[in-house]
Amino acid sequence: MQPQPTEPEDCVQSPAATHWSRTRQSVGIAIWSSFLAAAGTSVLCFAFVDPAAIELLPEAGTALARMTGYAVGFFLFWIAAATASVLTLYLVRTAHGSQLPAVRTWKRDPP
Amino acid sequence: MNAAAASDALYAAHQKVYARETVGRFSRLRTIAVWVLLGLFYLLPWLQWNRRQAVLFDLPARKFYVVGLVFWPQDFFFLAWLLIIAALSLFFVTALAGRLWCGYACPQTVWTQVFVWMERLTEGSRAQQMKLDRAPWSLQKLRRKGAKQLLWVSFAAWTGFTFVGFFTPIDRLFAEVLALAVGPWEFFWIVFYGFATYGNAGYLREQVCKYMCPYARFQSAMFDRDSLIISYDPKRGEPRGARARGVDPRSKGLGDCIDCTLCVQVCPTGIDIREGLQYECIACAACIDACDSVMERMSYPRGLIRYATERSMDGGATRILRPRMVIYGSLLAGLIVAFGVAVALRNPVGIDVLRDRNALYRELPGGTIENVYSVRVLNKDEKPHRFIFSAEGLSGIAVDAELTDLRVAAGDVATVPVRLRITDPQFHGSHPVLLRITATDDSRLTARADARFISPAPRSE
Repeated sequence: MQPQPTEPEDCVQSPAATHWSRTRQSVGIAIWSSFLAAAGTSVLCFAFVDPAAIELLPEAGTALARMTGYAVGFFLFWIAAATASVLTLYLVRTAHGSQLPAVRTWKRDPP
Repeated sequence: MNAAAASDALYAAHQKVYARETVGRFSRLRTIAVWVLLGLFYLLPWLQWNRRQAVLFDLPARKFYVVGLVFWPQDFFFLAWLLIIAALSLFFVTALAGRLWCGYACPQTVWTQVFVWMERLTEGSRAQQMKLDRAPWSLQKLRRKGAKQLLWVSFAAWTGFTFVGFFTPIDRLFAEVLALAVGPWEFFWIVFYGFATYGNAGYLREQVCKYMCPYARFQSAMFDRDSLIISYDPKRGEPRGARARGVDPRSKGLGDCIDCTLCVQVCPTGIDIREGLQYECIACAACIDACDSVMERMSYPRGLIRYATERSMDGGATRILRPRMVIYGSLLAGLIVAFGVAVALRNPVGIDVLRDRNALYRELPGGTIENVYSVRVLNKDEKPHRFIFSAEGLSGIAVDAELTDLRVAAGDVATVPVRLRITDPQFHGSHPVLLRITATDDSRLTARADARFISPAPRSE
Protein backbone atom coordinates (compact mmCIF):
# COMPACT_ATOMS: atom_id res chain seq x y z
CA MET A 1 0.00 0.00 0.00
CA GLN A 2 1.44 3.26 -1.04
CA PRO A 3 1.24 6.01 1.55
CA GLN A 4 -1.05 8.68 0.25
CA PRO A 5 -1.48 12.21 1.51
CA THR A 6 -4.49 11.77 3.78
CA GLU A 7 -6.34 15.00 3.16
CA PRO A 8 -5.10 17.16 0.31
CA GLU A 9 -5.63 20.43 2.19
CA ASP A 10 -3.51 19.13 5.10
CA CYS A 11 -0.48 18.97 2.91
CA VAL A 12 -0.86 22.37 1.35
CA GLN A 13 -0.37 23.85 4.79
CA SER A 14 3.14 25.22 4.98
CA PRO A 15 3.44 27.31 8.11
CA ALA A 16 7.04 28.22 7.35
CA ALA A 17 5.66 30.47 4.67
CA THR A 18 3.66 32.32 7.28
CA HIS A 19 5.30 34.71 9.65
CA TRP A 20 4.72 36.75 12.71
CA SER A 21 3.97 40.36 11.94
CA ARG A 22 6.79 42.84 12.43
CA THR A 23 5.22 44.27 15.55
CA ARG A 24 4.70 40.86 17.07
CA GLN A 25 8.26 39.87 16.26
CA SER A 26 9.64 43.05 17.79
CA VAL A 27 7.67 42.56 20.99
CA GLY A 28 8.64 38.89 21.20
CA ILE A 29 12.31 39.59 20.56
CA ALA A 30 12.40 42.49 23.02
CA ILE A 31 10.69 40.56 25.83
CA TRP A 32 12.78 37.45 25.37
CA SER A 33 16.22 38.98 24.86
CA SER A 34 15.70 41.35 27.80
CA PHE A 35 14.54 38.41 29.92
CA LEU A 36 17.80 36.61 29.20
CA ALA A 37 19.82 39.74 30.00
CA ALA A 38 17.84 40.35 33.22
CA ALA A 39 18.27 36.74 34.37
CA GLY A 40 22.03 36.89 33.83
CA THR A 41 22.37 40.29 35.48
CA SER A 42 20.29 39.17 38.47
CA VAL A 43 22.51 36.16 39.06
CA LEU A 44 25.62 38.31 38.83
CA CYS A 45 24.22 41.12 40.97
CA PHE A 46 22.77 39.00 43.77
CA ALA A 47 25.90 36.87 44.00
CA PHE A 48 27.52 39.98 45.45
CA VAL A 49 24.61 41.89 46.95
CA ASP A 50 22.55 40.43 49.77
CA PRO A 51 19.10 42.04 49.54
CA ALA A 52 18.61 41.44 53.28
CA ALA A 53 21.22 44.15 53.81
CA ILE A 54 19.27 46.72 51.79
CA GLU A 55 17.79 49.11 54.33
CA LEU A 56 15.15 50.40 51.92
CA LEU A 57 13.21 47.16 52.04
CA PRO A 58 10.44 47.21 54.63
CA GLU A 59 11.39 43.89 56.17
CA ALA A 60 15.16 44.43 55.98
CA GLY A 61 17.14 41.57 57.44
CA THR A 62 14.59 38.82 56.87
CA ALA A 63 14.22 36.01 54.36
CA LEU A 64 11.17 37.82 52.98
CA ALA A 65 13.33 40.89 52.33
CA ARG A 66 15.66 38.68 50.29
CA MET A 67 12.81 37.24 48.22
CA THR A 68 11.42 40.73 47.66
CA GLY A 69 14.86 42.04 46.77
CA TYR A 70 15.51 39.30 44.24
CA ALA A 71 12.13 39.75 42.58
CA VAL A 72 12.17 43.55 42.51
CA GLY A 73 15.77 43.53 41.26
CA PHE A 74 14.99 41.01 38.54
CA PHE A 75 11.99 42.97 37.26
CA LEU A 76 13.89 46.26 37.36
CA PHE A 77 16.65 44.69 35.25
CA TRP A 78 14.02 43.25 32.92
CA ILE A 79 12.26 46.58 32.47
CA ALA A 80 15.56 48.38 31.86
CA ALA A 81 16.74 45.80 29.33
CA ALA A 82 13.34 45.66 27.60
CA THR A 83 13.33 49.44 27.25
CA ALA A 84 16.74 49.29 25.61
CA SER A 85 15.62 46.45 23.32
CA VAL A 86 12.45 48.18 22.18
CA LEU A 87 14.27 51.46 21.65
CA THR A 88 17.01 49.75 19.66
CA LEU A 89 14.53 47.93 17.44
CA TYR A 90 12.54 51.10 16.93
CA LEU A 91 15.55 53.22 16.03
CA VAL A 92 17.01 50.62 13.70
CA ARG A 93 13.73 50.05 11.91
CA THR A 94 12.81 53.69 11.52
CA ALA A 95 16.29 54.80 10.45
CA HIS A 96 16.37 56.50 7.07
CA GLY A 97 16.97 53.91 4.37
CA SER A 98 16.60 50.93 6.70
CA GLN A 99 16.00 47.85 4.61
CA LEU A 100 15.76 45.36 7.46
CA PRO A 101 13.68 42.42 6.35
CA ALA A 102 10.97 41.26 8.71
CA VAL A 103 12.48 37.79 8.96
CA ARG A 104 15.87 36.53 7.87
CA THR A 105 15.55 33.24 6.08
CA TRP A 106 18.37 31.17 4.75
CA LYS A 107 16.18 29.43 2.30
CA ARG A 108 17.14 29.21 -1.30
CA ASP A 109 15.21 31.53 -3.51
CA PRO A 110 12.48 29.81 -5.48
CA PRO A 111 13.55 29.22 -9.09
CA MET B 1 2.89 53.45 12.33
CA ASN B 2 1.43 53.29 8.84
CA ALA B 3 4.59 51.89 7.33
CA ALA B 4 4.70 49.10 9.87
CA ALA B 5 1.04 48.30 9.36
CA ALA B 6 1.57 48.21 5.61
CA SER B 7 4.54 45.86 5.91
CA ASP B 8 2.54 43.64 8.26
CA ALA B 9 0.01 43.13 5.52
CA LEU B 10 2.71 41.56 3.35
CA TYR B 11 3.05 38.63 5.70
CA ALA B 12 0.46 35.94 6.10
CA ALA B 13 -0.51 35.57 9.73
CA HIS B 14 1.15 32.79 11.67
CA GLN B 15 -0.60 29.43 11.45
CA LYS B 16 -0.54 26.68 13.99
CA VAL B 17 1.75 23.79 13.09
CA TYR B 18 -0.08 20.50 13.44
CA ALA B 19 2.79 18.06 13.62
CA ARG B 20 1.94 14.53 12.63
CA GLU B 21 2.95 11.83 15.11
CA THR B 22 6.01 9.74 14.21
CA VAL B 23 7.38 6.38 15.22
CA GLY B 24 10.91 5.23 14.65
CA ARG B 25 14.45 5.17 15.97
CA PHE B 26 14.85 8.88 16.59
CA SER B 27 11.34 9.35 17.96
CA ARG B 28 12.17 6.65 20.50
CA LEU B 29 15.40 8.41 21.38
CA ARG B 30 13.52 11.69 21.80
CA THR B 31 10.97 10.01 24.06
CA ILE B 32 13.75 8.56 26.21
CA ALA B 33 15.34 12.02 26.44
CA VAL B 34 12.02 13.52 27.58
CA TRP B 35 11.58 10.90 30.31
CA VAL B 36 15.16 11.17 31.55
CA LEU B 37 15.34 14.97 31.55
CA LEU B 38 11.88 15.64 32.94
CA GLY B 39 12.31 12.77 35.38
CA LEU B 40 15.41 14.52 36.67
CA PHE B 41 13.60 17.84 36.84
CA TYR B 42 10.52 16.58 38.69
CA LEU B 43 12.21 14.10 41.03
CA LEU B 44 15.52 15.77 41.88
CA PRO B 45 14.07 18.26 44.40
CA TRP B 46 12.55 15.36 46.37
CA LEU B 47 15.87 13.57 46.76
CA GLN B 48 17.31 13.78 50.27
CA TRP B 49 20.94 13.83 51.35
CA ASN B 50 22.13 14.00 54.96
CA ARG B 51 18.60 14.84 56.10
CA ARG B 52 18.35 17.81 53.76
CA GLN B 53 17.32 18.36 50.14
CA ALA B 54 20.10 17.01 47.92
CA VAL B 55 19.86 19.73 45.29
CA LEU B 56 18.65 23.04 46.66
CA PHE B 57 19.56 26.53 45.52
CA ASP B 58 18.38 28.03 48.77
CA LEU B 59 17.92 31.65 47.76
CA PRO B 60 16.29 32.83 51.02
CA ALA B 61 19.30 31.46 52.94
CA ARG B 62 21.84 32.31 50.18
CA LYS B 63 23.35 28.83 50.12
CA PHE B 64 23.45 26.31 47.28
CA TYR B 65 23.45 22.61 48.13
CA VAL B 66 24.53 20.17 45.44
CA VAL B 67 24.58 16.70 46.97
CA GLY B 68 27.55 16.79 49.39
CA LEU B 69 28.74 20.26 48.44
CA VAL B 70 27.63 23.59 49.83
CA PHE B 71 28.24 26.73 47.79
CA TRP B 72 28.12 30.21 49.22
CA PRO B 73 27.81 33.57 47.50
CA GLN B 74 31.61 33.75 47.86
CA ASP B 75 31.78 30.72 45.54
CA PHE B 76 30.05 32.59 42.73
CA PHE B 77 33.19 32.02 40.74
CA PHE B 78 32.35 28.30 40.52
CA LEU B 79 28.92 29.08 39.10
CA ALA B 80 30.44 31.34 36.45
CA TRP B 81 32.97 28.64 35.65
CA LEU B 82 30.19 26.07 35.32
CA LEU B 83 28.30 28.33 32.92
CA ILE B 84 31.42 28.71 30.77
CA ILE B 85 31.78 24.90 30.70
CA ALA B 86 28.12 24.57 29.69
CA ALA B 87 28.50 27.12 26.88
CA LEU B 88 31.68 25.51 25.58
CA SER B 89 30.04 22.05 25.69
CA LEU B 90 27.26 23.45 23.53
CA PHE B 91 29.82 24.79 21.03
CA PHE B 92 31.64 21.47 20.99
CA VAL B 93 28.53 19.36 20.49
CA THR B 94 27.19 21.74 17.84
CA ALA B 95 30.41 21.65 15.83
CA LEU B 96 30.47 17.85 16.06
CA ALA B 97 26.86 16.83 15.69
CA GLY B 98 24.78 19.92 14.96
CA ARG B 99 21.73 20.92 16.89
CA LEU B 100 21.45 17.88 19.17
CA TRP B 101 20.62 20.32 21.97
CA CYS B 102 17.61 21.72 20.10
CA GLY B 103 16.26 18.35 19.00
CA TYR B 104 16.59 16.39 22.21
CA ALA B 105 17.54 18.40 25.28
CA CYS B 106 16.30 21.99 25.12
CA PRO B 107 13.56 22.60 27.73
CA GLN B 108 11.51 24.27 25.00
CA THR B 109 11.58 21.06 22.92
CA VAL B 110 11.11 18.72 25.85
CA TRP B 111 8.14 20.50 27.42
CA THR B 112 6.57 21.12 24.02
CA GLN B 113 6.76 17.37 23.40
CA VAL B 114 4.82 16.69 26.61
CA PHE B 115 2.19 19.31 25.78
CA VAL B 116 1.83 17.82 22.29
CA TRP B 117 1.30 14.37 23.83
CA MET B 118 -1.44 15.80 26.04
CA GLU B 119 -3.00 17.43 22.99
CA ARG B 120 -3.00 14.10 21.13
CA LEU B 121 -4.46 12.34 24.15
CA THR B 122 -7.43 14.73 24.31
CA GLU B 123 -7.88 15.95 20.74
CA GLY B 124 -6.64 12.96 18.78
CA SER B 125 -4.36 12.67 15.78
CA ARG B 126 -3.19 15.47 13.50
CA ALA B 127 -6.14 15.14 11.14
CA GLN B 128 -8.61 14.96 14.03
CA GLN B 129 -7.09 18.08 15.59
CA MET B 130 -7.38 20.03 12.34
CA LYS B 131 -10.94 18.91 11.91
CA LEU B 132 -11.80 19.80 15.50
CA ASP B 133 -10.33 23.29 15.11
CA ARG B 134 -12.28 23.92 11.91
CA ALA B 135 -15.53 22.60 13.41
CA PRO B 136 -17.99 24.98 15.08
CA TRP B 137 -18.21 24.90 18.87
CA SER B 138 -20.12 21.90 20.16
CA LEU B 139 -20.34 19.96 23.39
CA GLN B 140 -17.84 17.47 22.00
CA LYS B 141 -15.37 20.21 21.07
CA LEU B 142 -15.83 21.88 24.46
CA ARG B 143 -15.21 18.57 26.22
CA ARG B 144 -12.02 17.82 24.27
CA LYS B 145 -10.62 21.34 24.53
CA GLY B 146 -11.58 21.50 28.21
CA ALA B 147 -9.80 18.22 28.96
CA LYS B 148 -6.69 19.48 27.16
CA GLN B 149 -6.69 22.73 29.12
CA LEU B 150 -7.18 20.84 32.37
CA LEU B 151 -4.16 18.65 31.63
CA TRP B 152 -2.06 21.58 30.43
CA VAL B 153 -2.86 23.84 33.37
CA SER B 154 -2.32 21.11 35.99
CA PHE B 155 0.96 20.07 34.42
CA ALA B 156 2.11 23.69 34.14
CA ALA B 157 1.19 24.33 37.79
CA TRP B 158 3.13 21.24 38.89
CA THR B 159 6.06 22.44 36.79
CA GLY B 160 5.97 25.88 38.43
CA PHE B 161 5.78 24.26 41.86
CA THR B 162 8.75 22.00 41.10
CA PHE B 163 10.76 24.92 39.75
CA VAL B 164 10.25 26.92 42.93
CA GLY B 165 11.09 23.73 44.86
CA PHE B 166 14.65 24.03 43.57
CA PHE B 167 14.99 27.38 45.34
CA THR B 168 13.07 26.87 48.54
CA PRO B 169 12.84 23.53 50.41
CA ILE B 170 10.25 21.52 48.48
CA ASP B 171 8.78 19.48 51.34
CA ARG B 172 8.01 22.66 53.25
CA LEU B 173 6.64 24.26 50.10
CA PHE B 174 4.43 21.23 49.47
CA ALA B 175 2.99 21.45 52.98
CA GLU B 176 2.37 25.16 52.43
CA VAL B 177 0.59 24.48 49.15
CA LEU B 178 -1.64 21.86 50.81
CA ALA B 179 -2.46 24.30 53.62
CA LEU B 180 -3.01 27.12 51.08
CA ALA B 181 -0.42 29.13 52.99
CA VAL B 182 2.27 29.71 50.37
CA GLY B 183 4.43 32.80 50.85
CA PRO B 184 3.67 35.70 48.48
CA TRP B 185 6.84 35.39 46.40
CA GLU B 186 6.74 31.61 46.24
CA PHE B 187 3.17 31.86 44.97
CA PHE B 188 4.14 34.53 42.46
CA TRP B 189 7.02 32.49 41.02
CA ILE B 190 4.95 29.28 40.84
CA VAL B 191 2.37 31.14 38.78
CA PHE B 192 5.04 32.93 36.74
CA TYR B 193 6.97 29.81 35.79
CA GLY B 194 3.79 27.78 35.35
CA PHE B 195 2.38 30.40 33.02
CA ALA B 196 5.66 30.62 31.07
CA THR B 197 5.60 26.82 30.62
CA TYR B 198 1.95 26.87 29.56
CA GLY B 199 2.49 29.65 27.03
CA ASN B 200 5.81 28.45 25.64
CA ALA B 201 5.03 24.73 25.40
CA GLY B 202 1.30 25.03 24.72
CA TYR B 203 1.11 27.88 22.26
CA LEU B 204 4.43 29.43 21.21
CA ARG B 205 6.25 26.14 20.59
CA GLU B 206 8.41 26.36 17.45
CA GLN B 207 7.88 30.13 17.32
CA VAL B 208 10.25 30.46 20.28
CA CYS B 209 12.92 28.71 18.21
CA LYS B 210 12.12 30.64 15.05
CA TYR B 211 11.79 34.15 16.35
CA MET B 212 13.20 34.34 19.86
CA CYS B 213 16.05 31.90 20.30
CA PRO B 214 19.49 33.47 19.87
CA TYR B 215 21.20 30.07 19.65
CA ALA B 216 19.16 29.20 16.56
CA ARG B 217 20.69 32.20 14.81
CA PHE B 218 24.32 31.96 15.85
CA GLN B 219 24.71 28.19 15.87
CA SER B 220 25.62 28.41 12.17
CA ALA B 221 28.86 30.08 13.27
CA MET B 222 29.92 26.82 14.91
CA PHE B 223 28.99 24.72 11.92
CA ASP B 224 31.32 23.67 9.19
CA ARG B 225 31.18 21.21 6.33
CA ASP B 226 31.93 18.34 8.73
CA SER B 227 29.10 19.01 11.21
CA LEU B 228 26.25 16.54 11.37
CA ILE B 229 22.99 17.97 10.03
CA ILE B 230 19.65 16.57 8.93
CA SER B 231 20.00 16.33 5.19
CA TYR B 232 17.78 15.39 2.30
CA ASP B 233 19.73 13.68 -0.44
CA PRO B 234 18.58 15.50 -3.59
CA LYS B 235 20.85 13.46 -5.84
CA ARG B 236 18.95 10.34 -4.81
CA GLY B 237 15.53 11.88 -4.33
CA GLU B 238 15.08 14.17 -7.30
CA PRO B 239 13.12 14.45 -9.47
CA ARG B 240 10.42 13.65 -6.92
CA GLY B 241 7.01 12.39 -7.89
CA ALA B 242 4.25 9.87 -7.26
CA ARG B 243 4.55 6.36 -8.63
CA ALA B 244 2.95 3.01 -8.08
CA ARG B 245 4.68 0.54 -5.80
CA GLY B 246 7.00 -1.89 -7.55
CA VAL B 247 7.58 0.41 -10.52
CA ASP B 248 11.24 1.12 -11.14
CA PRO B 249 11.50 4.87 -10.58
CA ARG B 250 14.40 5.18 -13.02
CA SER B 251 12.20 3.88 -15.82
CA LYS B 252 9.84 6.79 -15.18
CA GLY B 253 12.73 9.22 -14.83
CA LEU B 254 12.07 9.71 -11.12
CA GLY B 255 14.23 9.79 -8.05
CA ASP B 256 13.44 8.00 -4.78
CA CYS B 257 11.27 10.79 -3.27
CA ILE B 258 7.63 9.85 -3.79
CA ASP B 259 6.55 13.34 -2.72
CA CYS B 260 4.22 12.05 -0.01
CA THR B 261 5.01 15.19 2.07
CA LEU B 262 5.11 13.14 5.28
CA CYS B 263 8.42 14.81 6.14
CA VAL B 264 6.64 18.18 6.06
CA GLN B 265 3.66 16.93 8.03
CA VAL B 266 5.74 15.59 10.92
CA CYS B 267 7.96 18.67 11.17
CA PRO B 268 7.32 20.51 14.44
CA THR B 269 8.54 23.77 12.88
CA GLY B 270 6.57 23.24 9.68
CA ILE B 271 9.43 23.41 7.18
CA ASP B 272 10.23 21.30 4.14
CA ILE B 273 13.64 19.74 4.74
CA ARG B 274 13.91 19.02 1.00
CA GLU B 275 14.59 22.72 0.45
CA GLY B 276 17.92 22.29 2.18
CA LEU B 277 19.30 23.38 5.54
CA GLN B 278 17.16 26.05 7.15
CA TYR B 279 17.68 27.80 10.43
CA GLU B 280 14.17 26.82 11.52
CA CYS B 281 15.25 23.15 11.56
CA ILE B 282 15.76 22.09 15.19
CA ALA B 283 17.27 18.75 14.09
CA CYS B 284 14.66 16.63 15.87
CA ALA B 285 14.95 13.96 13.13
CA ALA B 286 11.17 13.41 12.95
CA CYS B 287 11.44 13.69 9.15
CA ILE B 288 14.11 10.96 9.11
CA ASP B 289 11.77 8.55 10.91
CA ALA B 290 8.87 9.48 8.64
CA CYS B 291 10.89 9.11 5.45
CA ASP B 292 12.54 5.85 6.58
CA SER B 293 9.13 4.30 7.18
CA VAL B 294 8.06 5.30 3.66
CA MET B 295 11.30 4.02 2.12
CA GLU B 296 10.75 0.70 3.87
CA ARG B 297 7.22 0.40 2.56
CA MET B 298 8.44 1.22 -0.92
CA SER B 299 11.31 -1.31 -0.48
CA TYR B 300 13.88 1.44 -1.12
CA PRO B 301 16.95 1.73 1.07
CA ARG B 302 16.57 3.96 4.14
CA GLY B 303 18.28 7.30 4.50
CA LEU B 304 16.85 9.51 1.77
CA ILE B 305 16.70 11.98 4.66
CA ARG B 306 19.47 11.24 7.15
CA TYR B 307 22.01 12.59 9.59
CA ALA B 308 24.92 13.51 7.34
CA THR B 309 27.58 16.14 6.94
CA GLU B 310 27.71 18.52 4.04
CA ARG B 311 31.04 16.99 3.03
CA SER B 312 29.71 13.44 2.99
CA MET B 313 26.68 14.58 0.98
CA ASP B 314 29.11 15.92 -1.61
CA GLY B 315 30.82 12.53 -1.71
CA GLY B 316 33.76 13.35 0.57
CA ALA B 317 34.82 11.69 3.82
CA THR B 318 33.81 13.46 7.02
CA ARG B 319 36.71 14.58 9.18
CA ILE B 320 36.03 14.48 12.90
CA LEU B 321 39.45 15.59 14.09
CA ARG B 322 39.73 19.11 12.77
CA PRO B 323 41.28 22.21 14.37
CA ARG B 324 37.91 23.48 15.63
CA MET B 325 37.19 20.20 17.41
CA VAL B 326 40.68 19.97 18.88
CA ILE B 327 40.52 23.53 20.23
CA TYR B 328 36.99 23.24 21.65
CA GLY B 329 37.72 19.75 22.98
CA SER B 330 40.99 20.51 24.73
CA LEU B 331 39.66 23.77 26.18
CA LEU B 332 36.62 21.93 27.48
CA ALA B 333 38.62 19.06 28.94
CA GLY B 334 40.99 21.50 30.63
CA LEU B 335 38.16 23.54 32.13
CA ILE B 336 36.33 20.45 33.41
CA VAL B 337 39.44 18.95 35.02
CA ALA B 338 40.40 22.29 36.58
CA PHE B 339 36.85 22.72 37.88
CA GLY B 340 36.91 19.29 39.51
CA VAL B 341 40.29 19.99 41.10
CA ALA B 342 39.21 23.44 42.29
CA VAL B 343 36.01 22.08 43.88
CA ALA B 344 37.89 19.20 45.53
CA LEU B 345 40.57 21.52 46.90
CA ARG B 346 38.06 24.21 47.91
CA ASN B 347 38.71 25.49 51.38
CA PRO B 348 35.66 24.59 53.49
CA VAL B 349 36.39 27.37 55.96
CA GLY B 350 36.68 31.08 55.35
CA ILE B 351 37.36 34.28 57.22
CA ASP B 352 36.43 37.93 56.53
CA VAL B 353 37.93 40.72 58.61
CA LEU B 354 36.46 44.19 58.97
CA ARG B 355 38.07 46.87 61.14
CA ASP B 356 35.96 48.34 63.89
CA ARG B 357 34.92 51.69 62.51
CA ASN B 358 34.44 53.50 65.80
CA ALA B 359 38.01 53.68 67.00
CA LEU B 360 41.35 53.28 65.27
CA TYR B 361 42.92 51.91 68.44
CA ARG B 362 42.54 51.84 72.19
CA GLU B 363 45.27 52.49 74.71
CA LEU B 364 45.03 50.14 77.66
CA PRO B 365 46.78 50.63 81.00
CA GLY B 366 50.39 49.45 80.91
CA GLY B 367 51.12 50.78 77.42
CA THR B 368 49.16 48.10 75.59
CA ILE B 369 47.60 49.10 72.25
CA GLU B 370 44.41 47.30 71.24
CA ASN B 371 42.69 47.13 67.81
CA VAL B 372 39.19 45.70 67.43
CA TYR B 373 37.98 43.84 64.34
CA SER B 374 34.69 42.35 63.36
CA VAL B 375 35.48 38.85 62.09
CA ARG B 376 33.15 36.61 60.10
CA VAL B 377 33.99 32.92 60.31
CA LEU B 378 32.44 30.72 57.61
CA ASN B 379 32.10 27.01 58.09
CA LYS B 380 31.05 25.51 54.73
CA ASP B 381 31.78 21.99 56.00
CA GLU B 382 29.11 19.36 56.58
CA LYS B 383 29.84 19.21 60.33
CA PRO B 384 30.38 21.75 63.12
CA HIS B 385 33.90 22.86 64.05
CA ARG B 386 35.59 24.79 66.84
CA PHE B 387 38.11 27.38 65.75
CA ILE B 388 41.03 29.08 67.44
CA PHE B 389 42.30 32.47 66.34
CA SER B 390 45.90 33.46 65.89
CA ALA B 391 47.67 36.53 64.54
CA GLU B 392 50.88 36.59 62.53
CA GLY B 393 53.18 39.11 60.97
CA LEU B 394 54.01 41.31 63.95
CA SER B 395 56.23 40.34 66.84
CA GLY B 396 54.57 40.31 70.21
CA ILE B 397 51.02 40.47 68.84
CA ALA B 398 48.40 38.61 70.85
CA VAL B 399 44.77 37.66 70.34
CA ASP B 400 42.16 38.36 72.94
CA ALA B 401 42.25 35.30 75.19
CA GLU B 402 38.53 35.00 75.78
CA LEU B 403 37.95 34.17 72.12
CA THR B 404 40.27 31.28 71.51
CA ASP B 405 37.53 28.77 70.98
CA LEU B 406 34.60 29.58 68.71
CA ARG B 407 32.02 27.00 67.73
CA VAL B 408 30.47 27.38 64.27
CA ALA B 409 27.67 25.02 63.21
CA ALA B 410 27.76 23.13 59.91
CA GLY B 411 27.13 25.48 56.99
CA ASP B 412 26.91 28.48 59.26
CA VAL B 413 28.55 31.85 59.77
CA ALA B 414 29.58 33.40 63.06
CA THR B 415 30.50 37.05 63.45
CA VAL B 416 32.55 37.91 66.52
CA PRO B 417 34.62 40.86 67.71
CA VAL B 418 38.31 40.01 67.89
CA ARG B 419 40.84 42.14 69.79
CA LEU B 420 44.52 42.21 68.89
CA ARG B 421 47.00 43.62 71.40
CA ILE B 422 50.61 44.71 71.36
CA THR B 423 52.60 45.81 74.38
CA ASP B 424 55.62 47.59 72.94
CA PRO B 425 56.30 51.29 73.57
CA GLN B 426 58.47 51.47 70.44
CA PHE B 427 55.63 50.30 68.19
CA HIS B 428 54.07 53.06 66.07
CA GLY B 429 52.07 53.58 62.89
CA SER B 430 50.07 51.24 60.70
CA HIS B 431 51.25 47.71 59.94
CA PRO B 432 49.84 44.76 58.03
CA VAL B 433 48.89 41.77 60.11
CA LEU B 434 47.46 38.33 59.31
CA LEU B 435 44.50 36.88 61.17
CA ARG B 436 44.17 33.11 61.02
CA ILE B 437 41.54 30.61 62.11
CA THR B 438 42.29 26.93 62.56
CA ALA B 439 39.86 24.17 63.40
CA THR B 440 40.71 22.46 66.68
CA ASP B 441 39.83 19.00 65.35
CA ASP B 442 41.64 19.31 62.02
CA SER B 443 44.62 21.61 61.62
CA ARG B 444 44.30 21.45 57.82
CA LEU B 445 41.05 23.41 58.08
CA THR B 446 42.55 26.85 58.20
CA ALA B 447 42.01 30.22 56.57
CA ARG B 448 43.61 33.61 56.93
CA ALA B 449 42.86 37.20 56.06
CA ASP B 450 44.82 40.43 55.88
CA ALA B 451 44.16 43.26 58.28
CA ARG B 452 45.92 46.39 59.49
CA PHE B 453 47.07 47.05 63.01
CA ILE B 454 47.16 50.74 63.90
CA SER B 455 48.93 52.29 66.82
CA PRO B 456 49.41 55.96 67.76
CA ALA B 457 52.12 58.00 66.06
CA PRO B 458 55.13 58.70 68.26
CA ARG B 459 54.48 61.65 70.53
CA SER B 460 56.74 64.60 69.74
CA GLU B 461 58.50 65.50 72.99
